[in-house]
Formats: sequence, C-alpha cells, structure tokens
Amino acid sequence: MTDGNTARRTILVVGGGISGLTAAVEAAEVGYEVILVEKEPQLGGRVSQHNKYFPKLCSPTCGLEINFQRIRNNSRIQVYTLAEVETISGTAGNYQVAIRRNPRFVNEKCTGCGDCSQACTTEVDNPFNFGLNKVKAIRNAHVMAYPSQYFMDPLFAKTDEAKKLVKICPVGAIEPDQQAMTLNVQVASIVWATGWTPYNAEKIRPYGFGRYANVTTNMRFERMSSVHGPNQGAIVRPSDNKEVRNIAFIQCAGSRDHNYLPFCSRICCLASMKQATYVREQYPDAKITIYYIDLRAMDRYEAFLQKVMADPGIRWIKSKPSRIDEDKELNPIVIGEDTLTGQRYQETYDMVVLATGMEPNCTTEKVPAAGVEVDAYGFVVNAGGGIIGTGCSLSPVDVATSVQSGTAAALKAIQTAVKGG
Amino acid sequence: MEKKIGCYICSGCGIGEALDVDALVKIATKEQKLPLVKKHEFLCGPEGVELIRNDMSTSGVNAVLLAACSPRVKVDEFRLGTSLLDRVNLREQAVWSLEVKEGDDTAEEDRQMMAEDNLRMGCVKIKKMNPPEPFQDPSFSKDILVVGGGMAGMTTALEIAETGYKAILVEQSGQLGGMVARMHKVSPSKPPYQHLQENPVAALAAKVEGHANIVVHKNATIAKTIGAPGLFDVSIQNGGHVSQVRVGSIVVATGFTPYDASKLDHLGQGTSPDVITSLEFEEMAKAGQIVRKSDGKPAKRVAFSLCAGSRDKNHLEYCSAACCTYSLKQALYVKEQYADASTYILYQEIRTPGQMEDFYRKVQDEGGIFIKGDIQKVAVGTAGGLSVQVNDKLLRSSETLAVDLLVLATGMKPNVDTVDPNNPSPVGVAAGAEVKHVLNLEYRQGPSLPELKWGFPDSHFICFPYETRRTGIYTAGPARRPMGIAASMTDATGAALKAIQAVESVARGAAVHPRAGDLSYPSFRQEGCTQCKRCTEECPFGAINEDAKGNPLFNPTRCRRCGTCMGACPQKIISFANYSVDMIGAMLKEVEIPEEDAEKPRILIFACENDSYPALDAMAREGGKISPYVRIIPLRCLGSMNLVWIADAMSTGFDGVLLMGCRHGEDYQCHNVRGSALAEIRLSKVSETLNRLQLESDRVKMVEINIMDSHKLPGIINSFVAEIQKLPANPYKEF
Amino acid sequence: MAYDLSFARDVYKHSEMGHWIKMCMQCGVCAGSCPLGPHWEHSPRQLFQLVRAGKKEEVLKSSSMWMCTSCYNCIVRCPRHLPITHIVHGLARYASEQGMVDPKQPTHRFAKEIFWKNITATGRVAEMLLTMRLYFADGLAQGIKNGLEMQAQALGMLKTGRLMPLPFRSKIKGYAGFRAMLDKAQELEAKHKESKA
Repeated sequence: MTDGNTARRTILVVGGGISGLTAAVEAAEVGYEVILVEKEPQLGGRVSQHNKYFPKLCSPTCGLEINFQRIRNNSRIQVYTLAEVETISGTAGNYQVAIRRNPRFVNEKCTGCGDCSQACTTEVDNPFNFGLNKVKAIRNAHVMAYPSQYFMDPLFAKTDEAKKLVKICPVGAIEPDQQAMTLNVQVASIVWATGWTPYNAEKIRPYGFGRYANVTTNMRFERMSSVHGPNQGAIVRPSDNKEVRNIAFIQCAGSRDHNYLPFCSRICCLASMKQATYVREQYPDAKITIYYIDLRAMDRYEAFLQKVMADPGIRWIKSKPSRIDEDKELNPIVIGEDTLTGQRYQETYDMVVLATGMEPNCTTEKVPAAGVEVDAYGFVVNAGGGIIGTGCSLSPVDVATSVQSGTAAALKAIQTAVKGG
Repeated sequence: MEKKIGCYICSGCGIGEALDVDALVKIATKEQKLPLVKKHEFLCGPEGVELIRNDMSTSGVNAVLLAACSPRVKVDEFRLGTSLLDRVNLREQAVWSLEVKEGDDTAEEDRQMMAEDNLRMGCVKIKKMNPPEPFQDPSFSKDILVVGGGMAGMTTALEIAETGYKAILVEQSGQLGGMVARMHKVSPSKPPYQHLQENPVAALAAKVEGHANIVVHKNATIAKTIGAPGLFDVSIQNGGHVSQVRVGSIVVATGFTPYDASKLDHLGQGTSPDVITSLEFEEMAKAGQIVRKSDGKPAKRVAFSLCAGSRDKNHLEYCSAACCTYSLKQALYVKEQYADASTYILYQEIRTPGQMEDFYRKVQDEGGIFIKGDIQKVAVGTAGGLSVQVNDKLLRSSETLAVDLLVLATGMKPNVDTVDPNNPSPVGVAAGAEVKHVLNLEYRQGPSLPELKWGFPDSHFICFPYETRRTGIYTAGPARRPMGIAASMTDATGAALKAIQAVESVARGAAVHPRAGDLSYPSFRQEGCTQCKRCTEECPFGAINEDAKGNPLFNPTRCRRCGTCMGACPQKIISFANYSVDMIGAMLKEVEIPEEDAEKPRILIFACENDSYPALDAMAREGGKISPYVRIIPLRCLGSMNLVWIADAMSTGFDGVLLMGCRHGEDYQCHNVRGSALAEIRLSKVSETLNRLQLESDRVKMVEINIMDSHKLPGIINSFVAEIQKLPANPYKEF
Repeated sequence: MAYDLSFARDVYKHSEMGHWIKMCMQCGVCAGSCPLGPHWEHSPRQLFQLVRAGKKEEVLKSSSMWMCTSCYNCIVRCPRHLPITHIVHGLARYASEQGMVDPKQPTHRFAKEIFWKNITATGRVAEMLLTMRLYFADGLAQGIKNGLEMQAQALGMLKTGRLMPLPFRSKIKGYAGFRAMLDKAQELEAKHKESKA
C-alpha cells in the first residue's frame, strides 16, 4: 500500500452496504485498487437485514451474492471488516488514512466449520435481529454472511469460556487476546458510504414504542418476517406469539416531522406496502390498515402501489395518527383523524408497525476530515473534492438509487485518482 | 504447455472423520489416473496452501483440483495464479448435508459413494478444462458514444472526458441542452433545499463544447450501429453527410418527451389558450412575463395540475417522478414575479422525497395553496381566465377556483425505441407509424433495445440498474426511468462509469456483469451447425447475429458468458474452453450407478450457481439434510442446460433429474434475464426425449429456487427423491 | 369562488400567529391530540384548510376555537411546529374583533362580558358574582335551574373556603397600578391594530 503508484490508483470505500459495495466493485472492475472498510463483521449493511426488496419481492441476498462473487473473483479489492476510519489527512489525490481494525478474536484460519459456536454456552442478544432473539457469543451474523469467518463478541472475549474455546477450534483460529490495531493507508480518493440507522422510535413518545409490547418498527418487522428471524419468518404478535389478524402500519413515524426527522425518508411508504404483502402471504384474511400522509411511490414503483392497492383487505387512511394507547390485552389503539372523512377514529389492532425513517450515520459518525460539507440533517453534500458521499450518506434513498449513486461515486473517485487531486 | 493436474484432498472440518480419504486418494490416482494426488488435514491453512504452491513451482503442477469445501469459501487462500482450478465440494455436500448415525454402515457407505462421485466429476472436469484465452482485438476502441445532448447526455460526456476518455456526443437538434435548455430555473439540489437555482445548461454546454476530449455532433442522428463492444461502428448522419466512428461502448441519454397534452381533455386541455403544459409555462417564465395567453394580462393566479397524464391507467401508468418538484418550482416563478400571486397545487399525493420536503415547505411558506383533488371541469371564466372546478377531498366539497392559467404537469415518455423481447414489434407505436430508432442497431434481434415495461429499456432495476440486454450499451436519465435533473446527473455519472468499465473490460478480454472478469467465451464449431437459429434467438443479450444462410455470427464482446447458446444448441457445437456440453456430459457419465437391486437410486441435480448453489451451501450450514442419492452439478445458469444432458443422464442410469433455477417471468430474478425461463421451455420438450427412451416424464422436474430457500431445500429434494423411488428403477442401468 | 386568498391573507396578517396556517400539511395529528376533539365542529386542520379556501363565515362562526383549553398537546405533536394553540386563540380573537361571533357563544360571552368585567373591577375574581352572572345570563328561570343543578358543588366549595359567599370583594392592594397596567396594555393593542391596518 505504500507503493506510490499503487496508492495513486487506490480508492478507499468506507461502508460495505449496498452503496459502498457497488462503488467498490464498480471501481475495481474498471481496474482500480480498492480498499473496502466495513465496521460490522460482515458486508451487506442494512439491505442484508431486509427480508425482501420492493417491488419484485425478491431476496436482497440474491443481488448481494453476485456482488460478493464479484469481490471474490477480483483480487483488486481488499476488504477489512470490523474496521473504522479514524483519521484522514492529506488532500485529494493523496490522502493518508488511519484505519482502526477492531479485533475479531477469530483469525483468518477459520474454516467456518462452526464447532466453536456449537460448543459455546453463552448467548447474547442478537444485534442482527435487533435483539429479538438470542445468539451464541461466537458466531456468524447469518448463514449468508460474507466473509464467512466467525467472530466473537468483545465482552465475551474477556471471559474464561472464550479461553476454553481456543482448544475447541481444530485449526487454532480463536484468539481471545487479539487487540485492535491501526492500519495506515495512502489512497487517492475516498467514497463515504456509511449509510443510515433506523430512527430510534422510542423518541416518538405518543406512539409508545418501547412501552407497548405490540408496537414495533418496520426494520424489526423485516427481521420478524425473515426465515432467519426470531420466529423463522412466522409473523406473530410480540407479546404472546399469537397470530396477527388485524395490523396497522403507520407512515412517517419520525419522518417529515420537525420534532424528529424533518425530511422524508422516501422508502417507508413502499416498505410498508411490501410488508403488507408479507402479512397477506401468511394471513389471507388478515385486516391491514395503512395510515399515511402522502403515498410516495415514485416513478415505476407506482405499479407496486397499484398492485398492493388491488388487495381489498387493505384499508388506506390518509392520516398521521396522533397517538397510540394500549388496552388490557396489550392491543394497541390508534387514535387520530381521518382527513378525508373528517372523522376521528380510535381503532384497536393486534399489532402496529411504525414506518420509521432513516437517520444518516454521518450525524453520529462524522467524516473525520476537514472540508466535508454536511446539511442541517447530517447528510453529506458533494461539492467536489476527493471525499465523495454516496447513497444514504447523501439522502434517504432506495436500493436502486443507492446503486446508481454508488456507481457515480466510483467514477468521481476514479477521476480524482486520474487527476491526482 | 502440457497440463499437469495436482489433486489435493482435505481431511479437515470433519471430512477425515466422515470419509475414507485414502479411498478418495485411490480413486483420483488409480481410477482417474491423476499424476499427483495428496491429502492434507488443513488444506486452506498456511501449510496446506504452501504444499500446493510448492508442487506448482517444483513439480510443474499447473492445474489444481481441490477436494475440500464449497467453492464459495476460502477463495482468497486458493488464489493460486492458475485459471485451471476446480473445487470438489466434499464438506458441505458429502459431509454436512447428509444424515449419518453412528454405526449405520449403509449410510456411511452412501456418504462415501457421494464423495467419490463428486471427486470423479471433479477429475473429469479438470481434465476437460482448458485455460480460457481472452478475446482481444488490436482495433478495439476505448472511445464512447453518447446519444443525446441534454443534461443527462452532456453530463455523461463530460464525466467520460474528465476521466480521460474520449466522448462522441450526438445531438439531434442544432444545440445542446435538451429539455432543460427550455427551462427558466431549476429546483434546489443543495442545502437549504429551498431556493431556485440558475439553469445549469449554458455553463455545462460551454464546458462540453470546449472540452478537448469531447467531439460534439449537432443536427445529427445515428444512421446505423453495427458491431459489438470495443468494435461498434457507428454511422453518424448529419444532413446528407454520414461519418463513421468506432467506439467501445454507448450511452443512450435521449431524455423524454412530455406526455401529449392533447389527450388530456378531461383536464381542460383545449378549453382555452390559458390551459398550458408545464413546458410551455417554463418557456413563458424564461421569456419573462407570466401572462394569460388569451389576453396577455398578468397571470397572478395560477393553478398547477399534477399527475397530468401520469398515474393514470388511460395514459401513463407510472409516476413521472419529477412533476411534483417541477410544479413547486413553477409556483415560485409566479411568486417571484408577483408579490400578490395566488398559486394552487392540485395534487393526489405530494411526492417530495428526501430533503425535497424542505422545498415543499418553502413553497407553502411562500403562500402556495395545496388542494388534494381532481379537476372536474374547466371553463372560460366570466372575467377572462379560467374557472376550475375541483373535487376538494380535504374539504369534502366541490370547489371552483378562478385562475388566470392552468398548468398541466405532463409526465415523461422515454425517447427511446424499445421492443418487447417476447413480441418483437415496436412498443408504444401505432400500427403503421414510423418508429424513430435511436441507435439503429444492426442486430439480429432488431434495431431497438429490449423493453422492460411502458417503453423503458430493460434493466435489472433493483440491484444492477444499469445493466441492459445489449452489452456495452447503457441508458441514463429519463430515457431509462422517469427522473428529475439532479437524479439524471447522478445517473449519467454512473452510466459514464459503466461505459468506461465496458471498454476497459473489453480491452482485457473480460466479461462485464454478472460474470465480471470471466475471460472465457464460447467458440462455435461452425461445420456442425444446422442453421436452426436457436442460439441466435435465445441469447438474452443479443450477442449472436446470423449470416444470410442462418449461420451464427458470434460477437465475443457482446457475450456475458452465461452459456445460454450452449444450452440451446442441439448439435453441441458451442463450447467454452472451461465449460462445455461435452464436459458436463462426461461428468455425469462418470458417476457410478449402482445396479438396480442395490436399491440406491441416483438423482442428478443441475443447480444454478447464482442462487441455488449458495442456497445448498446455506442448507448445509444450517444442518439441513438431504438424500445421499443426489449428485449435484452447478451450472453457470440454467439457461446453459442442454437437453442432451438429460438424455445422457437417463441413458447413464440416473433415475431422475432435478433442475434448480431462478424465478422467471415478470419480476424475474435470473441474472441472465432469460436463462431459467428458457430452461423451462426446453424442459417442456423433454417428455419427447423421455418417451423416445420409454421413460416416465415425471423423472425430470424443474423447480424455482430463491437464494433464501435453504430451509425448503431438504423438503424439495427429498420429496423428489421419494417420488422417483416410487417409480421403477431406470431400466437403462443395466446397459 | 373558493380559494380567493383575501381572507387567508387577512388572517395571516391580523390574526395572532395566523401566518403559520400556510404551513399546515393537513396530516391530522392535531385533531386526534385534542382532548376536546369529539366536541369540536372543525379540527384545527380543517379550520386551517377552510381559512385557505376563503371560507370566512364558516371559520369565524365556528365554535371550534372557543373550545381550546390550552393543553398544548397539538403544539407538541404538530410535525410542522405550528403553534396551534396560539393560532386557535388568535382566530377566536379575530372572530370577535370581526364581530362574527354568535352572541350566544358561551365561552366568548363568559370571557368578554362576565369574566373580564368581574376581574377588572377589583383585580380579583368575585366567585359568587361571577357564578350568578353566568347562571342568569339567559334569564331568571334558566338561572335558577342552573343554580339548583350546581347546588351540591357550591355548598362543597363554600365549606372548603373555595367560594366567597359575598357577591363582591374588596380591591386588591395597589389596584391603581393594576388598572394602569391594563390601560397601558389596551393602549398598546390599539396602537398595534392601527399600525397593522
């Protein structure tokens, strides 16, 4: 990496979600060297937590697998998982970047055989499923994870059990004493693709998420609907695991709202429509209600809206609900005004899903470099220069737009490399 | 150089405990006669890899067969610098996927048999594999053609040029700028997302025209495009003059045409000159005065009707994406001109995604009035202007507005000729009407781009939106999908990358998506061709032309290496250096078929390597167990499945064949667009073959497998095996 | 003609916080947030759209703005940060200024006639007088009826010292200063009105 010629043709991509993956793969396939840094133990980002994509209702894993295949077959891409960018200095064409590599506690020898995970008795909340179930403290995040190398939770690594597991591994891959290390690299340009975090729905006090058992969020609902989710894909009420006969989706839960996120998160309408199809698939008779302000099914997604609207079991109520109460059976009660009838309503459901929006990760994890402009919401504003924001670092966008954006960012990064800043 | 195969069998990860590795070594050595066979307890570890590397440098091993884990793992470790590398999946398939209870000798025997067969197939495969020679041509061009001189086209050209490549920009009109050139100002694209921005066209056009790497052809169209990526020969027609250029790839950025307002009588079009389209309003604002067209009086009260012709099953079924923001912008024009302006936005849904919500708020703050409702009637007002009757859904009443102008926000129709790949007549064109071809491709598959829907060109529109079915030809901007200016510019930048990537890949002799980097490509043994044209018809990417006699004329740089042509060919004349009908046929024939009275049926599975094979791996990891009677062969795509393999399998003595491919039809998931669909069509003809062999057609079945179906696979596979077991054994076993 | 903006512009300009009405996006959160919701004629959202539609009569004669108890739920929840409580009070006042309020509107009558006179007379509320004025506003018979209905409460309040039995009370200390403050406020308001007009 210190070779000057290579550095001039090297692009750093920060974030291994769909935008970053795309930027990395597209740049490498032009012929540039790419370093891809991801803070989680595996690539895939938010999209890997989705059960299906709208509007095709296909699995994100399908497209991710092709991208992983492209990475596997391309020696120009160096992937660092569990890694974060600490500092960036220098200028376009010649950046010095310090990358912190957090310990995985399992080294490259890991064959993914799974013996350690089987032997491990300690279980922790599963972050991949938003804590909805438990997993072993040494594991793979999910069965399709790339890389397939296992990892250990940092807190568990300090325990005696972790030390005992060392002997379980037939190839000597477990290292509970592994320490974080810093890697210094020199690159020509940087693609910033750190994505988003689901808005913390607990902040939306009137909706009671966190207080009411049967009020959940759209991202949790994705995991609940996934075969790798807490109930192997069975959609049930969180409080009692009963089937769901009457469910509501509330749009703009936190978005388009000066109290929370003033911008529109763009994808939530379509995500709820998609989730309505999950419910319908499992419960042909379930009643589904979608509360919305405006149905934002942009461009060709309109066809998906029409397709979902053809389901007579779905009610569409133009209203931003005012609040949610809970009855003794822990049924959420949604209260508000139907703006098309002028009638106030108070409706009881088995379960309510809040369509929470996207909070850009740049608000909490700022780009550690001077001169990167961000807007009032924390989204990066691309104004030229060698650090290029992409995907949900720029704006809340869907997968296809993230791919476009990642592809475009790859070119801007290449241009910086070509011009040397 | 002579091929020297080294075979390495790993005994790690439980392989050694489950299988008789020495017996495997014996098969590779004695039966398959490989010159060098070694076993190792941890092949992917440093010593294991070193062992192989050492053999390669000292013993002349140049082809490597690894019998260990799935080819999807440990790829970096086994990057050995040879293209002759194959992996026999013992761990996931012959160990993890099988249920063997301690002391169950039969199960252990079955497991060993599967491992041995997998190894045999691998041995045959590596023997039949040749190193792919990349297709390269000294006359490859890295220049890029951009069609369309609007925002998307100019941006594409400029981005290409700024990256150091030459762009040839062809614009049909006499000036650059396209639709945006006719606009007054543009919507905000930067914080605080509230202020109108100056029209960027003039500055961009000046940059484009002054750029050393860009050649601009105005008043020009494409008369003809022949060839293939790297070798496109394009005839640019400028009046009576035709010039020829060779380019490596093409970006179509021909933009959109506003939906024909004359079809919008129901919105008042034609009632009065004061009903105008949003484009006419732009031109009016650009010219200076916003006035009634009827009498020239100031137009201070202006209504904007959104979704004019969009989201309407009688007109454009899709949302045109940009009209909301576009109309908000126009409302501000009125306000800029008249402090006491009254602007009304008549909408169904306000679609201002992301930070554009700030622009929505800005327009409200400037006094814009939003009315959710449909126009019921438009009439000429008593004092001139118009009276517009609206079904006001929020007031739940019919209300009449007095306005000076009614602006119809007409939607976007793509300016590109597309053709339904299943029904090749031009889309969206009335019978007899002349189609305006953008590229005039001289392809066997016709001059147009294949259509996805509504006249937009095909793309794998979620994960790989730039991919079209014509390799090296990309679309950008509203020609690809309805979008506004900022989105078009991003889209154009991405398309520029794809076009550059295409010329660079072509130069290396490598495939582009989805088998990016693959150096192999099919060769055609022309003397065996019977001119059946199946390959030319079935290639999803239009890679194959025909000569006058119907012989295939293959274009290697158009090829995506999926092998659909190979699967289509009844004469088996199409082969890759490392993938062929003969190779797979030989592999399946190498499987040992137990005699009928052993009661061990054999079922062959052809699994698409993109979705089904990863799902099989996942199943193994999750502990799913399948019958030990199956033998799995991964295929590049189910489209490469040649029916002769089914016949081969039956005549070899397999009792059944299961095909696992991706979802096809609308919302297809096949990365090669049509592969699995074609396999199904071919399969419908298989009963003929089976009848000829006097076999039950139930013996062959195709299933759609999604990559997340790992949990369903044991059920699918085992129930197929059970069905086959109900049938009598394949009588051909005895032969 | 609907959506003639002259009324809306008047409201934006002359009604307290009225200009915020422009910013409502008709989501409906306010309606469901209001504890008096079931008793309103128009929810705040509806009032705002009626203002924009130029429905002056409907807005100013609506009882809705007289129902607000200033609980501030709507303000807290409004996604556009509209100061709904204040806008609604502003509209009430504007309706009153325009002389559009139904003379029988109880809140309006209570506030303007009874409460104001009562409190400004002494600087503190004379509960008994206030109650009597309110009860007898619609005539003797109705007044007696009202009084009998509320007898139990009245006795209870008397017992606990929450109701002064005398129909008058002494002036507060420094009444002159209080009066001067009121006069100044009224003067300022008049000036403000003048400058707006």
